[in-house]
Amino acid sequence: MLFPLLKGQGYHGEQIVDWLDKLSIAAIAGLTLITVGMLANQEMITRRHDNAEGVAKGGEDSYALQMEMDKKIYEEVVSLKEQGHYPEAMAKLETIIKKYPENSLSYVYLAQLYLEQGELRETIHNYRRAVEMEADYVDERTPLFIGNEIKKLVTEGREKFSREKALKPKDKEVRKALKDVYYLQSRLAGGCE
Amino acid sequence: MRRIIDVSIITGALLGLGGVLLVYLGNPANSGICVSCFIENIAGALQLHKNIRMSYLRPELIGFVLGSTLMATKTRRFRVRGGSAPVIRFFMGFFLIVGCTVFIGCPIKMFLRLSAGDLTAIAATVGLVFGVWVGVRYIKGGFALPRDEELPRINGFVIPLFTFLLLVFLFLNPSFIKAGQKGPAAWHAPLPISLLIGLAIGAFAQKSGLCITGGVRNFLLVRERTLLNGVITAFLVALIFSILLGQFRWGMNAQPASHLSHGWTFLAMALVGFVSILIDGCPFRQLIKAGQGDVDAGVTTLGMLVGGGLVYVWVLGSTSAGPTFQGKIAVLIGMIFAAVVAMAFRKKKGGSQSLKLKATQL
Repeated sequence: MLFPLLKGQGYHGEQIVDWLDKLSIAAIAGLTLITVGMLANQEMITRRHDNAEGVAKGGEDSYALQMEMDKKIYEEVVSLKEQGHYPEAMAKLETIIKKYPENSLSYVYLAQLYLEQGELRETIHNYRRAVEMEADYVDERTPLFIGNEIKKLVTEGREKFSREKALKPKDKEVRKALKDVYYLQSRLAGGCE
Repeated sequence: MRRIIDVSIITGALLGLGGVLLVYLGNPANSGICVSCFIENIAGALQLHKNIRMSYLRPELIGFVLGSTLMATKTRRFRVRGGSAPVIRFFMGFFLIVGCTVFIGCPIKMFLRLSAGDLTAIAATVGLVFGVWVGVRYIKGGFALPRDEELPRINGFVIPLFTFLLLVFLFLNPSFIKAGQKGPAAWHAPLPISLLIGLAIGAFAQKSGLCITGGVRNFLLVRERTLLNGVITAFLVALIFSILLGQFRWGMNAQPASHLSHGWTFLAMALVGFVSILIDGCPFRQLIKAGQGDVDAGVTTLGMLVGGGLVYVWVLGSTSAGPTFQGKIAVLIGMIFAAVVAMAFRKKKGGSQSLKLKATQL
């Protein structure tokens, strides 16, 4: 199929194979073999010895490292939460959010604290913020997955806020809460995003 | 004529069945086949963007191109032509991906989403048909890109060979090719099955010329239904198998990879429909044409690939929360670009005479 392309077939279709063509074909064949050989040598060996283990382990290591760091950052919040000192825990979280604005775990803890206080709307809203920042929370293939916990809450939230919407159709807060529910449900459903 | 209709319907059936089956076997929900999502995946695998969750060399797209090449070569329909406004086609390819990423899906995924009960795809369907209708108005008004011409055969093999190289990378898995272990990239059907389905669809699509926007265009332009029958078949087959395989979830809310900004969904897919008419083919058709030696479609495909990278770097893609500001702006710029191109290439009756008159006046 490709051979006519290499035979110097010009615009007029004539078949001319001169010494330059023969030299070119030999050079192309030689270069192809060398390239494939080098690629095979480099990639196959490297992949077997370093990469295959390294990628998987590297991924786990980075999660473990992050979790270790988070443990230190949120130690006090966890302690206050366990003792039932929710306002103090939330105040501490506000400080952490200012210091580490990109750490999505703050919003997970915030959601859990609101849940302890029976604030479903705020709980769901903070889970949404956490998922927007870190998609791994709804990805069951990662150690950060908390999708089941979120799923339970949004199912409960959908029923509650749908009822509230029927009673107060123009209430902006209820509509906002339902939007948060739908967002989380869509993320939990998966898809290419 | 009868045979062509059959091939078109067979292609449609394969597309519908393949789309649903691939989800059942591991592809992301409602994304059994999505040219734009998969182009974004491939762009990520080639490190044109750094979102590892969207980085994977999708075998389906590789199959589409190579299936088309094999079929075209076998049936002596491998015709190497090109040279028709290549730079414009490149940017059109880019804007095709912009439109798709704001909707979250190409025209194929649009009907796959619809067949899975996702009602947010209705606005997309209306938008796509509207975009095609606008394109048809321009065609009737004298729009045509410059004629392509025959080129030396080597030109036609560049994209198929590049695709074949991607296939080699897929099997060798070199370290410079990224494959995400989480997110949508980690969701994929077994490689041989994905590749086989891709090859089969690519081969039949080459034979039938099936095109989602082409089907609508032919119907609007000359009431010709061959391609449209293929599209309708694809939808019906996908609908039946979605129900049979338990993938059907009726509703507007909580659908996978969807958002509720219907106005932007409409506009984004109108852009896709409009651009597809101007360059003669939806994103899927561009891949098939690139596989059969169409160099212009190859340039569009490269534009789509660059688009697949840039939509992540520039954060143009929508999420479940809706489109981003940048994404909205990009859709509008795409609309302006397409309209300017459509106007610039119109050949109006008496146009040359009036131009001559103006020139003498100057």
